Amino acid sequence: MRVSQFDLAIIGAGVVGSAIAREFAKHDISIALIDSAADVGDGTSKANTAILHTGFDMTPGSLESKLVATGYQLLKKYAKEVDIAMEPLGGLLVAWSEEEVANLPKLKEKAIANGYTECELISSEQLYKLEPNLGKGALAALTVPGEWIIDPWTPIVAFAIQAKLAGAQILLNTKVEKITYSEYQFKLATTTPDGNHQISCKYLINAAGLYSDEIDGQLGVADFKITPRRGELIVFDKLARELINHVILPVPSSMGKGVLVSPTVFGNIMLGPTAENLEDKTATGSTKSGLETLKAKGKKIAPALLDEEITAIYAGLRAASEHADYQIKLHKVNNHPNYLTVGGIRSTGLTASMAIAIYVKQLLLDSGITLGSEKELPKVVMNNLGEATVRSYQDENKIKQSPLHGQIICHCEKTTTQEVLDALASPIAPTNLASLGRRSRAGLGRCQGFYCHSELRKLLEKR
Amino acid sequence: MRSSTVDVLIIGAGPAGLSAAIELKKAGIKEVRVIEREQYAGGISRHSFHPGYGVRDLKRFLSGPRYAKFYVTRAERLGVKISTKTTATDWVDKNTIKLTSPNGLEQVSAKAIVLATGARERGRSARAVAGKRPDGIYTTGSLQQATYLENLYIGKRALIVGAEHVSFSAVMTLKHAGVKTVAMICEEKRHQTVFGIPTLLKLIYRFKLHTATKLLEIQGDKRVTGALLEKNSKSWVADVDTIIFTGDWIPDHELARKADIAIDRRYKSPIVGKDHQVASSDIYTIGNLILPIKAADQCALEARKIAKIIAKRLHKVKV
Repeated sequence: MRVSQFDLAIIGAGVVGSAIAREFAKHDISIALIDSAADVGDGTSKANTAILHTGFDMTPGSLESKLVATGYQLLKKYAKEVDIAMEPLGGLLVAWSEEEVANLPKLKEKAIANGYTECELISSEQLYKLEPNLGKGALAALTVPGEWIIDPWTPIVAFAIQAKLAGAQILLNTKVEKITYSEYQFKLATTTPDGNHQISCKYLINAAGLYSDEIDGQLGVADFKITPRRGELIVFDKLARELINHVILPVPSSMGKGVLVSPTVFGNIMLGPTAENLEDKTATGSTKSGLETLKAKGKKIAPALLDEEITAIYAGLRAASEHADYQIKLHKVNNHPNYLTVGGIRSTGLTASMAIAIYVKQLLLDSGITLGSEKELPKVVMNNLGEATVRSYQDENKIKQSPLHGQIICHCEKTTTQEVLDALASPIAPTNLASLGRRSRAGLGRCQGFYCHSELRKLLEKR
Repeated sequence: MRSSTVDVLIIGAGPAGLSAAIELKKAGIKEVRVIEREQYAGGISRHSFHPGYGVRDLKRFLSGPRYAKFYVTRAERLGVKISTKTTATDWVDKNTIKLTSPNGLEQVSAKAIVLATGARERGRSARAVAGKRPDGIYTTGSLQQATYLENLYIGKRALIVGAEHVSFSAVMTLKHAGVKTVAMICEEKRHQTVFGIPTLLKLIYRFKLHTATKLLEIQGDKRVTGALLEKNSKSWVADVDTIIFTGDWIPDHELARKADIAIDRRYKSPIVGKDHQVASSDIYTIGNLILPIKAADQCALEARKIAKIIAKRLHKVKV
């Protein structure tokens, strides 16, 4: 059996776990980032709604409010540094009933209480000027100019790659079966396709998302229970993109932010998510009723949207706990402050991820552990996949450097062969088509592989 | 950026595009260029290995690839310039198109632009079928490419969704790939192909055709493990590991729509006037960009007709 030893192990390589790994990788300690999936960001994180949240509608004073507000600035800065696609669209919170109209001023006040002061109330006339394709019956809106859209996948990969280049080990396909504690060490019995692997560590961080309550349970902690909340989404064809100019938000309810219509940085329009509490932590399927609900809502919000083709349908599970706020807590196992849980992180997790990582590190530092000085992380530059930038296939200079940049392999997403080869050669290389799609967009377009499926499979299987 | 001018620019080197190019050349048009985004010219027929191509246009009985080769060779021999690995990405104006290829970016202006971009089958997402996203889901197009062009593993037991002409072609491809067709379903009350074909193929390949049947849900996590079907409010699970979505065509109309050409509600094909000409422009459309779906030879014949008209007009302009 393989045995390895680390100072710190992080269970869960979603956006939160990866951000934490990156943060600790600034220090001279040994780190393992562990996930049972074949890729980073392959669980809840991959189905994020891809909005860079201002946190205008959080509960004022909550940890989530604080971390979303800080994380917003951090992620925005990071995305510019490493070249992750973002678009400054701004949100419009649309009221469809008198009751919702009455709520708008309250939401504006709430935004101010959250430290966000840029919201403005606008009339239905102003609203329809901004969004002429909105369905009939919108009465008023609240603008949220800071709600931007972002590529939800690349940050995770960038975090993990940076952590890896700084020395962290990214242990994928590694499932934690059992955790014990003895001789000042956590012992994680894990299974991998190559056999068992025992991972020991002094400090353990639980960022296991949907499974964070079960990991807690192994160490006798029972602060919360995760109830998977399914969110189904429909992604419409790029030809629908010009119908909508902003992130169209509903007035929020207790079940979450509600169904929104939003452009994506990849040039599509997304409709969703639904919110449905479940028991099954693997129920990531789209359902007939969910799809029908979405279509009905979409028809009301932007009727012309439904005339366009559907490019993709998918569903994700939010790791919701019974608590309204994030559940981030340092625990003592055998009287040592050595186990930290980061749970109950919902759709705001992408925005808050970098702030969560700093917060988690501070909790450990405050408890007395020493990490030594911070070193600069190795620089990474990602492939900006956003439609608002010049893509590879449009870049004369890139094509001159490599003619394969001029050879489009995925016609729907205009991904070039060189981009696919680059993705396959990255420090955390994709091992399946879905991962390759998240790195390059190849195969994710309207034809869903009618043209490029076998070419992509060939390139993938060759490696 | 390089720029050039030709008499006629054709987008798409399938049977329609190539047939039009050949006819234009024969009619004495000097510079005819065909743009193809795939690595090889020939279109869908290139990976459609069953026989039956060329009956109406060539009076021959060929397989798809041989048919494609015939057209490519013929066009090249007549001096048509075929640019493969070249994608038309956008319009500069209604007579000029932007191209990307391994040679770089390019702008090509033409006296007439012919859109022959074809159609594709709607896949699982476009049909919004419930379930997870396991491996083992194909369209006939991706199945044919995986089987004939790349020789990849497909599966063991397949369900075919749709009972159009192309659906029966999928049965033959599956056979070639060593996959058993378990059943074929369609929501309509009867199949939509030529009389006799279903009976013949059902006999040879021994599968059941369920009409008026819906696919409610795809089962399976990593790989398809079954398909939940429903007929007359009775539902059952078909034991399959592969699902092929066939037919239910949608035109590849992106370029047409980027030129603000209106599309019809039923087929989403560009709305064209007499002679397949887009109103107040030098843009023409041929082939399966205009649905309902036609066989390759029908597309080729139609393209010949339109090409003749375009040639006549261009000659007039010169005089």
